[in-house]
Amino acid sequence: MIIDVHAHVYLREYSQNVRDIVKACNLYGVSRVYISTISTMPYPTEDEVAKSNETTYEIMKEHPDLISGYCYINPRHEKSLDFLKKGIEDYGMSGMKLLVDAFCDDPVVFPLVEQCIDYGVPILVHSFIKAVGQGKEESVGTNVANLACRYPEAKIIMAHLGGNCYHGIRAIRDCANVWTDHSGSIFRRDDLDYAKEQLGAERILFGTDLPDYMLDNIGQVEEADFTPEERELVFYKNALKVFDRHFRPKRRRVCMP
Amino acid sequence: MNWVDANCLLGHWPFRKIRKNTFSDLKEVHRKNGISYSLVASLNSIFYNDPFEGDLELSEIIKNTGYRQLLTINPTLPGIEKDIEAGVVLFNVAGVRIYPGFHGYRLTDECVAQLASILKQYRLPLFITVRMDDERLVHLFRPETVKPEDIRAFAEANPDLPTVLLNIRSNEIYNIRDLICERKNLLVDTSGFKGELFIVERLLETINASAIVYGSLHPLYALRSTMLLVEKAEVDEETKEMILGKNICSLLKKCR
Repeated sequence: MIIDVHAHVYLREYSQNVRDIVKACNLYGVSRVYISTISTMPYPTEDEVAKSNETTYEIMKEHPDLISGYCYINPRHEKSLDFLKKGIEDYGMSGMKLLVDAFCDDPVVFPLVEQCIDYGVPILVHSFIKAVGQGKEESVGTNVANLACRYPEAKIIMAHLGGNCYHGIRAIRDCANVWTDHSGSIFRRDDLDYAKEQLGAERILFGTDLPDYMLDNIGQVEEADFTPEERELVFYKNALKVFDRHFRPKRRRVCMP
Repeated sequence: MNWVDANCLLGHWPFRKIRKNTFSDLKEVHRKNGISYSLVASLNSIFYNDPFEGDLELSEIIKNTGYRQLLTINPTLPGIEKDIEAGVVLFNVAGVRIYPGFHGYRLTDECVAQLASILKQYRLPLFITVRMDDERLVHLFRPETVKPEDIRAFAEANPDLPTVLLNIRSNEIYNIRDLICERKNLLVDTSGFKGELFIVERLLETINASAIVYGSLHPLYALRSTMLLVEKAEVDEETKEMILGKNICSLLKKCR
């Protein structure tokens, strides 16, 4: 079984994206995929965020056996908490997605995180440190660690291994309430071995960044130095745990991001 | 049909720990994925003052195996013709591999024109490394990515030089698809096939199957990732065989 915890559709071409995602999941053996819908990036308007989440909900309804949703939130919006409540309570979404509209440890994010703790849902944080092209409010591993330190009850997923994993993973390795996914365009052979050495296989989640990638990410897991049991953890067992609303992280943290 | 990896390396990569960089590791990952042999280049040669010293090391490691060597040439150095001659005589090199981004020149520079001239004389193909790593993830040193317009200018100036573009991305391939389609000796490897689902299938709508060779960029990239892109592609078996071996064998046969 494979569960993809990090996928998207783009609002402008979502029908084609969904067709591709469904086809890829069927072809490559992915059982469940967690998506969010992206419109303008960064700083979408409230209307765009509302439309994005409505679209995710429609896709969830069309493919209930395959697709689950994240509620995409721009924390700068006045109504962001209302959007989150609508997404989780009315649309039945499984988590909150933060992109590049505010650093994840900005105080505007805190009420949203507190609400996610109440719901027991994970927060997927785009995190990517870059040698070139860093976004103005693009979170990196240290932002994620700060958030995790403030909220040890929150279940946080640091996306993309934090970009350059040798920065991102170092930042969150002492944060027991942070998992990381290897989604996106990071294809280096050693990244997952490094993640396992630093975090343990229990904190690595399979992710793709669909509709752009999938086989690359499957190949990375297949080739990494995992035991068969560890590979199962990464491919799906860790995800089952993180998305279980009754599962709460242990309150264990050394606050030195 | 033998499957061939046209883009793999052995040696030290100074920017991060590489866990699988011995020849045994390389043979093992190839065996697991059904690859018979490869064209292997020296990672050390990229960084040594004299790249040929890295190639001497590599030749010792792979001698008496089916693996063929790609000679690393920095065309800004004097005496490259002697290196190429020695590579042919001593190592039976399959071709020459260059790294413009690391060695500080452009494909439009005179030194590259001179290299191309020598390669034609020796009937050797040229392997151009467009990039080695994701530009966003580099550490300490930022090598330039080879520019598509430079590839175009070089290819147009050397239509009879068999050339393989390594780690070129799909959007860059689309930019030069006219050249790739016109020529029978301008190929791309699979190591840069990132950025869209069903990428092999979609590229084949743009360029001929004969223009693609399998390359992994192992040990920097996961070989299994590129292998899955080809293995799982919804194309016929003959097309897969071309990508996985026939095309590079055909190119090499036309050379030395």
